[in-house]
Amino acid sequence: MTFAGWPLAELFAVFGVASAAITGLYLLRMRRREVVVPFSALWNEVMRESESRKLWRRLRRVFSWLVQLAILLLICVALGDPRPSVWIREPTTLAIVVDASASMSAWSGHDHSRLDVALERARAELAALGPADAALVVIAGSEVHVPVPLTREPWMAAPRLVGIESTPGEADFAAALELAHATLADQPGGRILVVTDGALDAPSRVALDRCMSEGPHCELVLAQGPTDNVAVTAFAARRYPRDPEHAEAIAQIHNFGDEVAFVMLVVRSADVTLARRPISIAPGTSQREIVPNIESAHARLEATIEAPSENDVARLGPAIDDTAYAVVPPLRPLDIVLISDGTDLFLEAALLTLDDHVRLTGIHPDDVSAHPSLADADLVIVDVGDRPLPRPLPDVDMVIFDPARQDSAASPVAVGRMLRRPFLTEQARAHPVLEYVVFKDVNLARASSFVLEPGDVPLVSSLGEAVVVLRERRHRTLLFGFDPRQSDLPLRVAFPLLIANTVAYFERVRPGFVAVVPVGEDRELALAELGLASATDASYVEIELPPYAERVGTVQRITVERGRMRIRPTRLGIHRVRARGGTADGAQAELAVNQVGVQASELRASIDETRASVAEAPSAAPVQQGPIWTLLLLSATLLLAAEWLGYHRRSTV
Amino acid sequence: MAVRTKLLGRASASGTWPGADTLFDESFLRRLELLQVVARRLFRGRHRAERKSRKIGSGLEFADHREYSPGDDIRSLDWNVLIRLGQPLVRLFEEDEDLPIRVVLDVSDSMGTRAGAKLRYAFQVGAALAYVGLANLDRVGLTVASRHVHSTLLAVRGKGRIFRVFEFLSDAPRGGATDLRGLCSRVAAESSQPGVTIVLSDFYDLRAFEGLNTLRVRKHDVVAIQVLDPVEADPRKSALRGDVTLVDCEGGTRRDVTLAPASLEAFAAAHDRFCSALESSCRASGIPFFRAVVDVPFDDLVLRMFRIGGVLQ
Repeated sequence: MTFAGWPLAELFAVFGVASAAITGLYLLRMRRREVVVPFSALWNEVMRESESRKLWRRLRRVFSWLVQLAILLLICVALGDPRPSVWIREPTTLAIVVDASASMSAWSGHDHSRLDVALERARAELAALGPADAALVVIAGSEVHVPVPLTREPWMAAPRLVGIESTPGEADFAAALELAHATLADQPGGRILVVTDGALDAPSRVALDRCMSEGPHCELVLAQGPTDNVAVTAFAARRYPRDPEHAEAIAQIHNFGDEVAFVMLVVRSADVTLARRPISIAPGTSQREIVPNIESAHARLEATIEAPSENDVARLGPAIDDTAYAVVPPLRPLDIVLISDGTDLFLEAALLTLDDHVRLTGIHPDDVSAHPSLADADLVIVDVGDRPLPRPLPDVDMVIFDPARQDSAASPVAVGRMLRRPFLTEQARAHPVLEYVVFKDVNLARASSFVLEPGDVPLVSSLGEAVVVLRERRHRTLLFGFDPRQSDLPLRVAFPLLIANTVAYFERVRPGFVAVVPVGEDRELALAELGLASATDASYVEIELPPYAERVGTVQRITVERGRMRIRPTRLGIHRVRARGGTADGAQAELAVNQVGVQASELRASIDETRASVAEAPSAAPVQQGPIWTLLLLSATLLLAAEWLGYHRRSTV
Repeated sequence: MAVRTKLLGRASASGTWPGADTLFDESFLRRLELLQVVARRLFRGRHRAERKSRKIGSGLEFADHREYSPGDDIRSLDWNVLIRLGQPLVRLFEEDEDLPIRVVLDVSDSMGTRAGAKLRYAFQVGAALAYVGLANLDRVGLTVASRHVHSTLLAVRGKGRIFRVFEFLSDAPRGGATDLRGLCSRVAAESSQPGVTIVLSDFYDLRAFEGLNTLRVRKHDVVAIQVLDPVEADPRKSALRGDVTLVDCEGGTRRDVTLAPASLEAFAAAHDRFCSALESSCRASGIPFFRAVVDVPFDDLVLRMFRIGGVLQ
């Protein structure tokens, strides 16, 4: 506190003289006025008073004298024009960036979350600012928002920092710091204060490094706590390929702590508990748990880890990553078009055995050019025998038998040479297309070898020359270099297995179902990937958000262009996507949104902690609004008025 | 000081008492003349000095019978009774006697507060009543008294004696404590013949009724007129507040008090209760009681007394 007005010596002198004068006047005032009354007996009857009241009357006179001295003191201090030191320094503009990522919801070790500690620090910083200072507060969650825009009255903004919660996923520090930089660009004394626990992802670390290395002055404050955490870092479900009425779920649980963690994994669907499994996880490791044989009717799954006892709850870390969600992929038949002249009954029979999964359409080779089924087909099988390949080939996934029989140039994969009665010597046993299928003793009359390009997968070879090739480009193409009619393969049990494996492979890898979307990430999705293949002409979708936080049932509206949309989910849980407009108006699908991954649940600092400021929170400025002398004079006036009203209010007679 | 004196005044034996020059000035005399005219109209048809005494004598109005005893005037025998009952009874008549009017004025210090407004008012009312009585050919006497002073004007008759009344009142001694009991006892003792006794006082004496009752017991027709100052009766009108020392104007007793609106209200209520109790006691004893506030002109009060009756009849 500094006195900018009268010097202290003069103030003491003024106070001394004036207090002596007040005391003298009070001694004179102690003399009571005499009032003559004609009938004192009646007054005596009315004015009986107790001894305590008499004592109070005497004390009140002393109190009144003290009040007058207090008023004098206030006036003298006002003359001195006191000013806190925070008023005298150069004005500053403070941008406080508070980390509100998922890790900030972890316990700080003092009955508060890390976010609570960070917000408390932010409030302390705001309270320490003077009347010439300005401040803004940026909350960096999965989205950036500004609860306190740039204000010249920062001490008034503290109530706006109430009710802020951490968001799932990582903090978008890049956007938050960019916003802070932009705001401070034209402000005097710019200063950025980043309050975080240090558990940042790579983009945030880069943004923070840039902030601390470039102007304006950037300061880091850590709000940390215990780092024990067990999280569900992945959760997904799939239907069994051969039993689509059942599904299995896989959950990955990671122990971030330093001791073995014992948790209970619970998989639920709505209110039905599907599985409960006790799990022990070594420190720093992940463990996968598969929950098999789930009825596909349980379309929405929720995996939660629970502590075995109340004492272990703290070791689970923040609750935000203790639950993950998954959606069982919807069942949709595979549209297969068979281009055949009808002479390969073995192939047709093998395909017809898959009728639950396959919607088979047969096309004669002569009708290929104008047939509408080809455009919507998931898989086209070309088995034209001695006829030439259709030109052009449809732009979809294809299986082609003996592509070089008539014209080797027509083959989508370059053909090497013709092999007479080749021995099939090598095959990729691990490939799903060849599961339970053995080619080594299959007899072929002839076959064509293929010239492989980088990325091509030879599935079956004859002395090093690929006879069966899988090419994965924009679409996948499986080429058999022989005609089944010219082999004994259709007579073997392996043939329907090969066909079933092939269909299952294309079904599994077709651009399909997006099981899980990480929270906070900007993703472009095709409606087909959500199981809304029929709604590609929709004009927009309505996304009903999960009942997360207090905004239950909020609906977002997102525009769809050419069957694709861009979303950035900010809540965990299962989102309901409903197509609007187009031929499939009202078609509905579900989308699970989970934590970003292992890194998002890591509570340890990933930055150099030595760069953080060790300074304690500043103490609040004694008075934010000035000048103080006006307040002192106002106080003196109020005191004087109260004293007069309470004691001196009377008319002298 | 002027405001203070105006509102409450200060007890003093000199300086603030009403003087002769202002007490009975020309305007007062004019109002007195007017009062006489009005009073004459009210008394028209009555015989002058026909105030009945309680003596049985030679009057015209029958009072009672008694047995005849030797020596009685035989003309007084009630012949009708004698013939009808055979008993000699003598008829008694009320004796018409000229009764005196005595105006008793309390001149204690309590009457002199607030520049002697009450005393001035009491003097004017007393003088007016005396004038009406003299004009009515009654014998009128005056007494001014307190515990320390006592002065009497012997009964006089005739309208022309009014100036003796004025002179007496102007020169009367004043001051001292209020002692209505002693005052009334002395008035009763001095009166050779009971008559109409009008007592003008503020009655700020806890034994006031005892004094009035003493006169009543001594066969006086007592009329009590309480002279009140509205500011003294209700100090809230004086805006008196704060820490003060209350000094009794008669006894000099002092009391340090803090006057708040509540205490002033309590005093006003207590004063009202005191006056009401005195009035009730008087009325219960057949003593006419009038409350005279100094704000009301004295002639209005006198006329009101005449209209209500019980005074000067």
